Amino acid sequence: MTFDSAFFNGFSYAWSSRDGYRLAQTLSPEVSTEELKATYNSTNSHDIKISVRRGLQGNAALVGGIDQDGIKGWVEVYASYWNATGALVAARESDTDNGGESSQLVWTKVFEVWTDVLNQLLRGYQNYGFEAWTIPCLYVVCRNLRAFAIKADDERNRSSVEDITTNNLQDDFDPDSSKNQKLEECARTLSRVFMICQTDRAPIEESRKWGSYYIANLLLKTYFKLNSASLSKNILNSLRASGKDMPDFSAFPKSQRVTFKYHEGVLAFLEENYVQAETCLTEAWNLCHKDALRNKERILTYLIPCHLINNHTLPTKRLLEPYPRLQQLFLPLCQCIKRGELHKFDLALQEGEDEFVKRRIYLTLERGRDIALRNLLRKVFIARGFEEAKPGENPVRRTRVPVAEFAAAISLGSEEKIDNDEVECLLANMIYKGHMKGYISRQHGMVVLSKSGAFPGTGV
Amino acid sequence: MMPTWPAAAPPPGGPAPSTAHATTYSAPAYTPVQVRQSFGQPYAVPQPSYPVTHAYGPAPPAMPSATNPASNPNPPPSAAQEQQNTKIDWPDSVRRYVQRAFMPANLDSTVTRAEMEAKLKETITHAKESGVMYTLDWDSVPLPQQMIRNERQRALFSHPSKPETPAPAEGPTAKKRKSWDVNDTAPADSSSTTPPWRTGAGRLQDRVSFANDRRQIPDEPLKPSSKFSRADKRQKRNEGEYKTYREDTPPPSAGPVVGTCQDLEKRYLRLTSAPKPSQVRPPHVLRQTLELLKKRWKKDQNYAYICDQFKSMRQDLTVQRVRDDFTVEVYEIHARIALEKGDLGEYNQCQTQLKALYKLGLKGKPNEFKAYRILYYIHTANRTELNNALADLTAAEKKDKAIKHALDVRSALALGNYHRFFQLYNDTPNMGAYLMDMFVGRERLHALCNICKAYKQDVPLRFVTEELYFESDVEAAQFILDHGGQDLLEDRNGSIMFLTAKAGNRFEGPRAKAFSRVDIKGQI
Repeated sequence: MTFDSAFFNGFSYAWSSRDGYRLAQTLSPEVSTEELKATYNSTNSHDIKISVRRGLQGNAALVGGIDQDGIKGWVEVYASYWNATGALVAARESDTDNGGESSQLVWTKVFEVWTDVLNQLLRGYQNYGFEAWTIPCLYVVCRNLRAFAIKADDERNRSSVEDITTNNLQDDFDPDSSKNQKLEECARTLSRVFMICQTDRAPIEESRKWGSYYIANLLLKTYFKLNSASLSKNILNSLRASGKDMPDFSAFPKSQRVTFKYHEGVLAFLEENYVQAETCLTEAWNLCHKDALRNKERILTYLIPCHLINNHTLPTKRLLEPYPRLQQLFLPLCQCIKRGELHKFDLALQEGEDEFVKRRIYLTLERGRDIALRNLLRKVFIARGFEEAKPGENPVRRTRVPVAEFAAAISLGSEEKIDNDEVECLLANMIYKGHMKGYISRQHGMVVLSKSGAFPGTGV
Repeated sequence: MMPTWPAAAPPPGGPAPSTAHATTYSAPAYTPVQVRQSFGQPYAVPQPSYPVTHAYGPAPPAMPSATNPASNPNPPPSAAQEQQNTKIDWPDSVRRYVQRAFMPANLDSTVTRAEMEAKLKETITHAKESGVMYTLDWDSVPLPQQMIRNERQRALFSHPSKPETPAPAEGPTAKKRKSWDVNDTAPADSSSTTPPWRTGAGRLQDRVSFANDRRQIPDEPLKPSSKFSRADKRQKRNEGEYKTYREDTPPPSAGPVVGTCQDLEKRYLRLTSAPKPSQVRPPHVLRQTLELLKKRWKKDQNYAYICDQFKSMRQDLTVQRVRDDFTVEVYEIHARIALEKGDLGEYNQCQTQLKALYKLGLKGKPNEFKAYRILYYIHTANRTELNNALADLTAAEKKDKAIKHALDVRSALALGNYHRFFQLYNDTPNMGAYLMDMFVGRERLHALCNICKAYKQDVPLRFVTEELYFESDVEAAQFILDHGGQDLLEDRNGSIMFLTAKAGNRFEGPRAKAFSRVDIKGQI
């Protein structure tokens, strides 16, 4: 893109059709290095503002609704964008030339100049009356700010350049805190953008509130990456608080809704609110594009444990078919749960521990052990068969089971002796949680199970 | 209402009226404080023009005399003065301007009324004196609050000692300071939490000027500002206007203090200025202090004294930026003592520092303290942190005795295996039992609920004693009695029975209560 007549035509076209996404394209850094170079070489720091201003003013007649203030704002935005292209070209070339090994932190520079693009844009919204339909520009700039922040952190962590300013002067210090320095800076900037969207009081049709969810999604994503998901609460609360002033959730683009519901679900999941988590994740699942396998995989990663906890249901093979990674993750566990193989369950859990912990589902999946145990106890119950049937009556299962038999079943897999008191404790848990109906008679070392539905929900 | 405004408005005359005016308003009964709308709101976005905010205050005042009649005991002189001043007929444009300034949508709560009024007076006086009052396009003159903000900003940028902070540093959303915020919190904090009445020199000037505002006639003539068509509607905000300076921050280049104090004991005092070397003990003195304190602790067990001493020791280490094995030792010992005395606030401070110190690869007992941390997360039911702690453990650490114990405790509780839990409680390495003591009560209630639901008719009290690891039957009985089980114990042929069937859901209430309340000072 060069600041020539084609550019100005494009600008005025986007403007006259009020096409924010088209306008946003003019601010995208996601173009080839050659194009960036052409942009950068097309003018210089002295001429950039003059030529853009002249161009925009020349087209002002075509561009309905842009006033002098608006032009002033956009001139600043494009000037900072032009400035950023220079840094970006340098960074990309340094990457290809030196394979990323550079003595200078080129991406940090990109991050800084790109922050300036964002600031100019925000200034436009705050001071120069940029209209709400241009919000997609904010999307493109914010999205790339995050990408550049990650690159900058990555580059700094790889390089040996010591950043002396960060750690040494603080009382409370954390050696890790500088690892995500730029991304944290980015998160703070994004939260400012979020509030600028949120606090717009213009009538809803022309309000920046329409940008809230896109920015919120970026912000949530960033918080997750920074391992500070707890900060997300502020965002959700803010959205909730302004609920009635916001456009209806269903009026937002589907893509934004899927992402938001996914994050909301995962946050509920992390707070052990599995019912709400299931609701949100199911909503995300239903909205999700059918071919967006990666997104669907992410949703399932949390939705499956939710179902295990809430409804004691396991995923079918067919559901997992398109997702080899999920199969690897869940199938071994599911099989153990289904068959009531307690010891194998423990092993499978241990096996996948690192992966589970990384995805924050370990503590939830661990609870699946209850279901495995229930299935095992149920087998014991079934194996005991029926009471001698009186003629003419339906056979009745033997409902009195010695604790020792359960103990034998539990230690079957591990071949470790387990004392009866501990078995009783496990049984008490089953009864307390409602997986099993009946009671323990300590005097007789006996469990007396309910004649009707000893294991609710399992058909016996 | 409006027609009376010029009467109360700053009379454009000489100094006398202005003092009269000043006395009228110089002593407000309160200083308006900006209401914090929410924690999540970054301060870079000030005063979103909440049209409703005034519900809690006096109705948007059109002019001061209406809202403040009591504090204006002398309106007639003011009016008289006005007459004296050749009776000005205020043009409509000026009236509109004043009206516009006090429109609720334009109010800015960082600008006090007094300041605004002073500014208004100044502006109008200036216009009158330079003879442009009737010719000036009042509709395009910036509002007084806006001028004040601009002035503040100019003062800010022209101040040489204050380096400009980058804009993104503003607006942290976290309410608590997080360790990762550390780099930027200082400027952000000062801009966000400094109340409007003490925001540095720029503000002070503003405040001083309003008392004898005659002095401060603007040097530059009012710039005809650009139109703020839409932008105005959206409440123009100038970036950086909330940046303030901090007072005399010691220059960081000074480097760490090198202490010269030779006293072994020193009372803790929170520093409010740069530390003086003569009051800071160097490491070799601190080593002796530590030995002394260890002895004193063994002998006297006076926690108040010990805690105070350790805090001052930590402070000395911090200001000298001593981060070595000795620092670790100090923190470890203080953490253990605090743990023993149940002082979770201090304990947590130590743990936070220890975590960082261990990351530097210093020697100490990281496994012991990691195990404590896990137990602590169990206590606070902090699942997120628990998961993080799990993620951080290496395979070797998982085999460490203390850590393995803590992990087993976690897993036993997760699976409701109270039998195993109390066995582990019985056999806790290091000082973990102090932490476990904090949640053993609620786990006992939980187990009791289980037992009551699962066992029919009754169980021997001895069973409860053993399963829940009470010291004695008496203690077990007392626990049951304490939670409303007076009628659940029965003496039968010399052995005491616990009537589980009769208990029903009786312990559910206490259980829920015990699990709901984990609120700790200094919680991480």
